[in-house]
Amino acid sequence: MTDTPVIQLVDVTKTYHLEGGDFTALDHVSLEIRENDFVAIMGPSGSGKSTMMNQLGILDVPTSGKLHISGRDVAEMSNLERTHMRRDTIGYIFQKFYLIPLLSAYENVEYPLILKYKKRDTTGKAHTLLEQVGIDRDMSAHRPTQLSGGQQQRVAIARALVNEPKIILCDEPTGNLDSRTGYQIMDILCGLHRDGKTVILVTHDPKIAEYAHRTIRLVDGRVAEL
Amino acid sequence: MIKGDIFFNLSVRSVRLNFLRSMLAAIGIVIGVVAISSMGMLGTNMQLEVKEQLSATANTIIISSDTVRMGPPGFTPSSSSSSGVTKTELTKITSAVGSNGTVIPIYSTNGEFTINSVAGRGLIYGIDPADIGKFLTLNQTYGNGTTEIGTGEVLVGSELAQEFNLKVGTRIRIGLFSSSSRPELRIAGVLNARGTVADGVSTDNAIVVNSNWYTDQYGGKNEWTQVNVIVKDVDSISDIESAIDDKVNTNAKTPSVRITDASSQLATETSTLSTVTTFIMAIGGISLLVAAVSIFNVMMMSVSERVQEIGILLSIGTEKGEVRRMFMYEAFILGLLGAGIGGASSLIIGYSVVDAMIGSTAYFFQPASILYVPAAMLIGVVVCVISGVYPAWRASNMDPIDALRSE
Repeated sequence: MTDTPVIQLVDVTKTYHLEGGDFTALDHVSLEIRENDFVAIMGPSGSGKSTMMNQLGILDVPTSGKLHISGRDVAEMSNLERTHMRRDTIGYIFQKFYLIPLLSAYENVEYPLILKYKKRDTTGKAHTLLEQVGIDRDMSAHRPTQLSGGQQQRVAIARALVNEPKIILCDEPTGNLDSRTGYQIMDILCGLHRDGKTVILVTHDPKIAEYAHRTIRLVDGRVAEL
Repeated sequence: MIKGDIFFNLSVRSVRLNFLRSMLAAIGIVIGVVAISSMGMLGTNMQLEVKEQLSATANTIIISSDTVRMGPPGFTPSSSSSSGVTKTELTKITSAVGSNGTVIPIYSTNGEFTINSVAGRGLIYGIDPADIGKFLTLNQTYGNGTTEIGTGEVLVGSELAQEFNLKVGTRIRIGLFSSSSRPELRIAGVLNARGTVADGVSTDNAIVVNSNWYTDQYGGKNEWTQVNVIVKDVDSISDIESAIDDKVNTNAKTPSVRITDASSQLATETSTLSTVTTFIMAIGGISLLVAAVSIFNVMMMSVSERVQEIGILLSIGTEKGEVRRMFMYEAFILGLLGAGIGGASSLIIGYSVVDAMIGSTAYFFQPASILYVPAAMLIGVVVCVISGVYPAWRASNMDPIDALRSE
């Protein structure tokens, strides 16, 4: 772990304007996540975990405050720059896997490479990554619906890694898996951390959170414990 | 390359996944393409057919009395006024033409006749027997006939002969039904079909009589309805027309004869047919509009069903333009499917329609006709692509968080 903050939130607030009135999902949150950090974000439902992940994944921008990712202020970036940062700097692993149903497992992993280099993968990188997460060549030809939950999450991890992002965001990555498969997935994430990635994990499960080196607890949109 | 484009592959797979729905939407395009190309080809084939028929008489100048300029409404011509081309005018025309062509004076009127106790009405032409053979030919399958008809003989048109089952030797009575004296004449020959002609002598449903018999029956001697000049060299037609005009229409303000040829009639006919063709094609185009709505609907359904997928694409770094491109490809594929099937069907249906309506497919594969197929296909594809613009825009502008949440 280095002292360089790869993610920095300074007094970040996110307010949603709803019919029944404004709702503040993140309330003046300030924190830093350094390079090669392994952070678990915990908290009860409605505490702002998903909103936090959307901010860190640059799927949304703060209502106020500053969010810096890899040294860049997200609010000052254009839509296209944010898209490219999502593609190149952040690997997103979702609870529901969110693989593209029309593509095979291999094509799902190859897809971010095509987005980045505008051509099909000729380096074999997609296959190598799939093999590293335990998906063989036969299985990689299958569509997501033909794979088990654990297999789909492995494909999703390979997809998140293929563009060699600095940051891996995991939103309840074991939430839809049985405990044995969940621990296997966590072993893979620990391996990624060992390889130098910054891993941020949202979870309800304290046992899963124990894999992280640091836990951030959110309550009512505020950081309760660092 | 489009084939290797991941977004094109995604679009192809989406169309395959919803093949039945996609094909139903594409049927609208098929109908539109078939309607436009078939109607276009029909109109063009009609134009080409008319052009060919009129070209056969392109070497003929038609001179008729300029009745339009005889006077204002209610004006009663003096005794010297004539309703036809006069003998003096004919002499001048003959002199102007000289050895460059053949001058044929023709009488004509609408008349009544009776064949085998069945009454009929049609055009009756009075022509000098010596001139008949110069531009009319006989169909000898109805019996050995002759164009050298005497005062008691007639020639009949091909369609009339067919309708009344006539042959050489059959008798025909000409004159008013109410008239007590309706002279009986012998059919001396049946004329070959002429179709649409530009020389003003449409004989297919007409009767041709000896000019002397005509003037005895209807009067108007030396007042010809029209004078045809068949020129030897078609390129000299305007020079001859100018010579006739100079000699006969001495008073430029009140010309006594009107001089026309096939070119003006051809222009009128093709212009009329072109207008009709455009109108019919526009009606065919309405089906494409309906198809556009159908494609739009299918594309909107595709976007609605794939909201979560769009959310995934956007959240992992797909650019808005790339999402737009994916849906535009889908619309393009639907258009290509519809236009392809429509184009192939157009060849079969268009051929059948042209054959049924015109009776000839001689011009079907000519470029002017067959080009309607790719043109209609292109319109079909463009309509589809335009229909896909809004759904594609909507997909690309979705909020990825909302899109991911949707089930």
